[in-house]
Amino acid sequence: MSLAGRALAIALLALAGAAAAQEVKPGSAFLSPQMQRQQEDEARNPGWLWVEQGEELFSRREGAAPSCVSCHADPRQSLRGAAARYPQVDAASGKLMNLEGRIEQCRADRQKQPAFGYESQDLLGLTAYVASLSKGEPLAVSADGATKPFYEAGKAFYERRQGQLNLACTQCHDGLVGQKLRGDTISYGIGTGYPAYRLEWNGLGSLHRRLRACSLGVRATQFDYGSDEYLALELYLAVRAKGLALEAPGLRR
Amino acid sequence: MASFNARITMPAEAKAGEIVEIRVLVRHPMDRGGQVDSEGRVVPRKILNRLTVTYAGEPVFRYDMHTGVSANPFVSFTTRAVETGDLLFEWREDGGATFTRTARLVVT
Amino acid sequence: MSSPISPTCARPEPALSRREIMVVGAAGLALAGLPASTQAATPPALAELIARVTEGAVPERARITFDIPQLVENGNSVDVAIQVESPMTEADHVRWIHVIAEKNPFPDVARFHLGPRSGRADIRATLRLATSQKVVAIASLSSGSYVMADADIVVTLSACIDGG
Ligand code: HEC
Ligand code: HEC
Repeated sequence: MSLAGRALAIALLALAGAAAAQEVKPGSAFLSPQMQRQQEDEARNPGWLWVEQGEELFSRREGAAPSCVSCHADPRQSLRGAAARYPQVDAASGKLMNLEGRIEQCRADRQKQPAFGYESQDLLGLTAYVASLSKGEPLAVSADGATKPFYEAGKAFYERRQGQLNLACTQCHDGLVGQKLRGDTISYGIGTGYPAYRLEWNGLGSLHRRLRACSLGVRATQFDYGSDEYLALELYLAVRAKGLALEAPGLRR
Repeated sequence: MASFNARITMPAEAKAGEIVEIRVLVRHPMDRGGQVDSEGRVVPRKILNRLTVTYAGEPVFRYDMHTGVSANPFVSFTTRAVETGDLLFEWREDGGATFTRTARLVVT
Repeated sequence: MSSPISPTCARPEPALSRREIMVVGAAGLALAGLPASTQAATPPALAELIARVTEGAVPERARITFDIPQLVENGNSVDVAIQVESPMTEADHVRWIHVIAEKNPFPDVARFHLGPRSGRADIRATLRLATSQKVVAIASLSSGSYVMADADIVVTLSACIDGG
């Protein structure tokens, strides 16, 4: 690349960083009209296959352990809106916990069963099911009180340049919103559609899987599923998306 | 394979002679074979190779699938409502396993 | 627990390059190599593939609509819709519709068997297309003749930046 070209690109990226604080739109707003329709069509969006699996698991009994539904009766009512309040700080441990973490906690502590494991099909199914019970609910995650330090850590991560490409999340997801990148249209980079069925994955995946893909995209460290780094980032993204409707299971390219 | 599940969407009721649309979404990786998995093993081909649909015992639709059909495939087709009866969906997988589902159509 | 994610992404593209980001920043990604429409001619290899399913007959280009996005979102799952004008009676109906993707490793992609009970010849499905290519839909009619339609599609480079 020529010097002039490089200067232009850097200038644009700098400009990009400054263009923040627009009104954040959901990921689906950047899909083709056909994919938008398909996402909303339960007969067509393959994510609902996982929701259905999760619904089955929710009432399944294993040995002497109580099923999920035996404690969470009438989940359509009792868990409506629950997903919209995650991640949150767990009162007992003081740790930041996302929806996957909460489900795993119920699994291990309350059902006394071995954890499903992050990104296992069972946990994806249950997460998709619980998230689907909050479809359309506005995201309501707080950045105050006990969550404050986590929020600050997530924000710092989001704004920090990283990887061989030396790019911060904000440079793409604020500065280049609406631009095409390898056939994708860059969105605001929020998690309201997750877990999502991604054509590229041929399956359902968690938000952390998507974050790992973005980290790899800029050749930065990929953190583990459920890592403190991605949890803090997830919190920051959720606060950023405050008020937006949950749309899991999303459908993505 | 992860759990097999199918979502069949069609009207529960139709008037005699009416043409109904049937939409079928099924969970299957449709492994086309030849890729290398995370442990370095070559994944053998394993796809659903056929979906057969009968309606009140009569065949009304068949879908022959090859490796060019997507994972978690979707298909839709139509049939004319003739009498109240079950639609029987049968998938055949490489290796011979079969999966079935039924859905009832009430004809008024 | 070992990685539960199956290795479905076979494209060897681990990460973006600095240049690509520059290009986006500067101008938006140009769709490289959109082929000019080659609707008229059927390449010889494809003609042979068609002849195999029609037992040598040359299908007429009529009475069939083949909906497929010209610019494919992701080759892993491509929506197609095919309709054939036909009364779908005992005497006059579509027997089957066959789809060929000439550049897929296995070009015969799918076949849909219909009949008078179908009411309409109207199907939708999701296919896997390996690369940019011509895709053909051929319908076999009860009269013994065939009709076909084809489409040139472009599979955009997908950012297969999936590290599992
Ligand atoms: C090189 C530009 C780039 C950078 C840097 C980048 N991403 Fe992305 N990201 C993308 C693209 C392209 C997509 C896919 C299209 C879309 O939804 O935005 C995406 C998707 C996402 C999504 C999914 C959105 C949805 O609705 O499906 C999230 C969340 C996300 N990114 C978060 C991040 C975070 C957090 C970071 C920083 C660690 C980051 N991204 C860094 C380009 C980037
Ligand atoms: C023995 C009873 C019990 C079982 C079994 C159980 N849970 Fe829970 N669950 C609880 C309790 C108690 C809470 C905490 C409520 C609180 O602190 O607000 C909870 C919290 C939750 C929450 C968060 C709700 C919110 O509003 O934040 C979710 C989601 C959840 N459980 C899902 C599940 C799933 C999925 C299963 C099965 C894998 C399960 N639970 C099994 C008792 C149980």
